[in-house]
Amino acid sequence: MQDVRKALYVGSRSDGTLVQRPMSPHLQIYRRRLSMILSISNRITGVIATGGAALGIFWLNAAAKGEKSYTTASKVARNPLSRLVLFGWIVSVVYHTVGGIRHLIWDSGHRFDKEEVNKDGEVAVRVTVGVSVVLTALLCLVGRRRAKKRG
Amino acid sequence: MNAYEPHVDVMRSHLGRVRGLGVGHSGAEHWWGERASSVVLLPLSTWFVVQMFRLGGASRADVIKWGGKPINATLLIALIITTFYHARLGLQVIVDDYVHGHAYLPMRLLIKLGTFLLGLLGVISVVKLVIAHDSTK
Amino acid sequence: MVELRLPHNSTIGVGKTVLAPEGAKNVRTFRIYRWSPDDDRNPVMDSYEVDVDVIGPMVLDAIIHIKNEIDSTLTFRRSCREGICGSCAMNIDGENTLACLKPIKSIEGDIKIYPLPHMPVVKDLVTNLDGAYAQLRSIQPWMKADTAPPPDKERLQSQKERSKLDGLWECILCFCCTTSCPSYWWNGDRYLGPSVLLAAYRWIADSRDEHTGERLDGLEDTFKLYACRTIMNCTQTCPKGLNPAKAIGHIKELQLARKL
Repeated sequence: MQDVRKALYVGSRSDGTLVQRPMSPHLQIYRRRLSMILSISNRITGVIATGGAALGIFWLNAAAKGEKSYTTASKVARNPLSRLVLFGWIVSVVYHTVGGIRHLIWDSGHRFDKEEVNKDGEVAVRVTVGVSVVLTALLCLVGRRRAKKRG
Repeated sequence: MNAYEPHVDVMRSHLGRVRGLGVGHSGAEHWWGERASSVVLLPLSTWFVVQMFRLGGASRADVIKWGGKPINATLLIALIITTFYHARLGLQVIVDDYVHGHAYLPMRLLIKLGTFLLGLLGVISVVKLVIAHDSTK
Repeated sequence: MVELRLPHNSTIGVGKTVLAPEGAKNVRTFRIYRWSPDDDRNPVMDSYEVDVDVIGPMVLDAIIHIKNEIDSTLTFRRSCREGICGSCAMNIDGENTLACLKPIKSIEGDIKIYPLPHMPVVKDLVTNLDGAYAQLRSIQPWMKADTAPPPDKERLQSQKERSKLDGLWECILCFCCTTSCPSYWWNGDRYLGPSVLLAAYRWIADSRDEHTGERLDGLEDTFKLYACRTIMNCTQTCPKGLNPAKAIGHIKELQLARKL
């Protein structure tokens, strides 16, 4: 701990000698409410979304560079591992968007009550799952149709 | 390993410690930037999802035809810039929370640089697609 | 890098167990965090079996019973026993609350009691709150008005103006909210925390105060105010049912309104 709170951790024994005080447990013991999990997940999915966006830029770069680079990029994108990554990225972006809308609602001054927060949290999870499933299904469908056309 | 010997280093008053160096007089711009960019990203990312269906598995010729249209190029560049601006603000906040001490400033600079370069690469790629499109005409 | 794990001297071991006396009918186990500066060891969890039929309904009744009848070295803060002084704030069953308002019946299984999270432990369930008190003082929680008050009556305030203070004046400064906030855990030296920000908003929202601009100036800082990430642990845990997250939201709105 390099902050000024470090000084509060020095106490003294009954005989006056100094002793280092322990820190009370936090993450280790605090109840994991849905709101807390959703909040940290918003941060995690934001980082994943950024990573995916970076990969997207590389794909765009490959398309702009030339035919050979684009063919390589397309081959990599068709790899089952890449599809898994794409799926994970889609779910992250959907979740982060839903969570983001929740934050925007709070920032505009609404839905702050404890009951409302908890209810909205459950709705957010359901919407995320629903939209992710629909999007992925559509993408698979379109992808399969295009692959058939390619022959 | 040396046993840590507790000793009193700080005798400044609690109020003095808490007041610290005073206020930085900033924060509202960053906070507003996060919100404004996320609002702009809502319609832009919806548009992008629709376009992703068009572009998935497409040939390079198709991509150039699509990217060469001014409206697509404009919206794509807007999406890229807004995305990496939003990402920069978000990552900065993460560094503020978890990184303290000597690593703090370098990490902040790294994030600014990283997101800027990625955004720039994206913009230049789109411009190149537009040029490639014009040259096929 | 922020320390997500506890320092070496803070990891918790297993302490002693005290079984219920003969003939106890309704036995519940209380597992309580213990550490004394005179110990030469890390903190431990002691287990006390208590017949809850012979004591009052709240967790505070149980720990007072333990201190009186079983282990007089158990140390904790307490005073009013009715949820108004804020002394007995601690982490019970995973959430910060007042021991005097937490019914034992509302908890399933063993009742786990820890001190308020991420704070220096003075002894057992008592934490050092000097930093938090200093933060409260730093926002100047008193009336600041240049207009002289009327000589024969109080400063006037309409019912509508007074209603703005509802949900703010009732704070008992127990610091359950502040010590429930992960942002305060990682940056409590610079972030003021929900309790202090609620107190700051109480004065910003008061129509009789005339230094609103200065108060907002004093909060316009990346860490002091904007380290709030709207995690919402504060509102979830407040034992008085207050909403610090909402108050902080109002402050942010006002900061923006000044700039746009």
